[in-house]
Amino acid sequence: MERRVVVTACSAITPIGRSREDILRHLTQGISGVKVLREDDVLTSHIHSKVFGTVDYPIEYDFIRKHRKTMGPVAYYACQVAKEALQDSGLDEAFITSGRLGVAFGSTHGSPTVQRSIYKTFFSEDKTGYSSIGAVDYLKSMVHTTAVNITKMFGITGRVISSSTACTTSSQSVGFGYEAVKFGMQDAMLCGGADEYDTTTVAVFDNLLACSTAFNATPHLTPRPFDVKRDGLVVAEGAGAVLLEEYEHARARGAVILGEIIGFSCNNNGGDLILPNIDGITETIRLGLKNAEVSAGEVDLVCAHATGTKMGDVIESQAIHRIYGNRPAVFGPKSYMGHTMGSCGVIETIIVLTLMEEGLLVPTLNLEEVDDRCAMINHVMKLRETPLRIASVQNFAFGGVNTNLIFKKWQGR
Amino acid sequence: MTSMTRKEIETAILDFCRKEFEMEDPGMDDDLREKHDFDSIDAIELLLEIENMLDSELTQEEKKQAMDIRTLRQVCDYVERLAASRT
Repeated sequence: MERRVVVTACSAITPIGRSREDILRHLTQGISGVKVLREDDVLTSHIHSKVFGTVDYPIEYDFIRKHRKTMGPVAYYACQVAKEALQDSGLDEAFITSGRLGVAFGSTHGSPTVQRSIYKTFFSEDKTGYSSIGAVDYLKSMVHTTAVNITKMFGITGRVISSSTACTTSSQSVGFGYEAVKFGMQDAMLCGGADEYDTTTVAVFDNLLACSTAFNATPHLTPRPFDVKRDGLVVAEGAGAVLLEEYEHARARGAVILGEIIGFSCNNNGGDLILPNIDGITETIRLGLKNAEVSAGEVDLVCAHATGTKMGDVIESQAIHRIYGNRPAVFGPKSYMGHTMGSCGVIETIIVLTLMEEGLLVPTLNLEEVDDRCAMINHVMKLRETPLRIASVQNFAFGGVNTNLIFKKWQGR
Repeated sequence: MTSMTRKEIETAILDFCRKEFEMEDPGMDDDLREKHDFDSIDAIELLLEIENMLDSELTQEEKKQAMDIRTLRQVCDYVERLAASRT
């Protein structure tokens, strides 16, 4: 059984806004969400990169204690976008709790803020608080904390998938959720990812010399994917959720359809856990197109992973060129907000659906002079209107994990 | 703690439940699970608070004895017994 899968709701928390309108405003006006890294009294003084894609606006949570008590910061983000996506979807409680709706949601490593407080107790000289490392702390910090806090909050009883593959976490959520609906295991899946403000991730990339450091005084000028002056990625925080639904189910209830997901691929480089691999990336692009049953020539927009690292952008450009040549427009959304880690795939999905709906191409921010080694593909340098029928979202992660999601503009059938 | 009267124990437990568990108008004989959505996580938090009140860690055996508690009156009885065993 293979069924069509459509997106019927979404919600996001990003450094460039909450609503699709606000995100689009940042994209079309070239406004960056990258700010100065906040002091955390833990690692910031040791980190060379002083920039961070920051959610610096207030979010009003109205979670009751029954739900709050098992949530760390990452689960707050996840539950908020899940709540908004479910509200936006119009699905009734009977369906939500029927077992026909599942959840695919993850984060890079649960809640590092809570993990840090556990270790503070663990390494403290004063052992009187030792017994306070209990069930609640684990529930707040564990890797699948986002997914199960969502199921608990809404009484969701379908399958749970909790990917935790760094930068491909939420693209896997969307992809595995798509497969669960496509093959009839669920009628709908709430998919996404979240990552909270955390400097340990910055420290890891900083130690690998992968973080941007040359623009500490001018955060909005970095990251600079594909640009000759790029000097590394910028870590960010955020969350996103999309509701994937079987087409006939969505149509029968008159749901607003934001787009159709028509393909997904995921593979591994089968070797080095850090270095980008052109063969692995090329293969996941090819597999995604094959799964979607579309040719490379039919794709209008490639939403690139494009973190702004020196080698990553070159390898990705070469892989895109191998498959697509220089026809599709290529756009790097991380240039506006940094790398939201486990949530990047779903946030980029929401951006792509919005651009398809609007028929807009937005430029990669800070791309002023294209690096010769990245110049063989069709970079979007200026805002322009154009019909976008098919688009891809590609992401690559530490561990050699690659994903490719293929979307089709919703045209009423 | 050991100098606390029964009334003071009740007041302390009720205050804790109102503040930390956000219970509205808790009654001494309310079924905690039925009326206030009390669950296993709340039980663990309450035991930690009791340790703070007693200024003493509970043994595994003492914690197991708490598993049958259903009402705040039973919680106060439990605290009273533990306090007495520590004098």
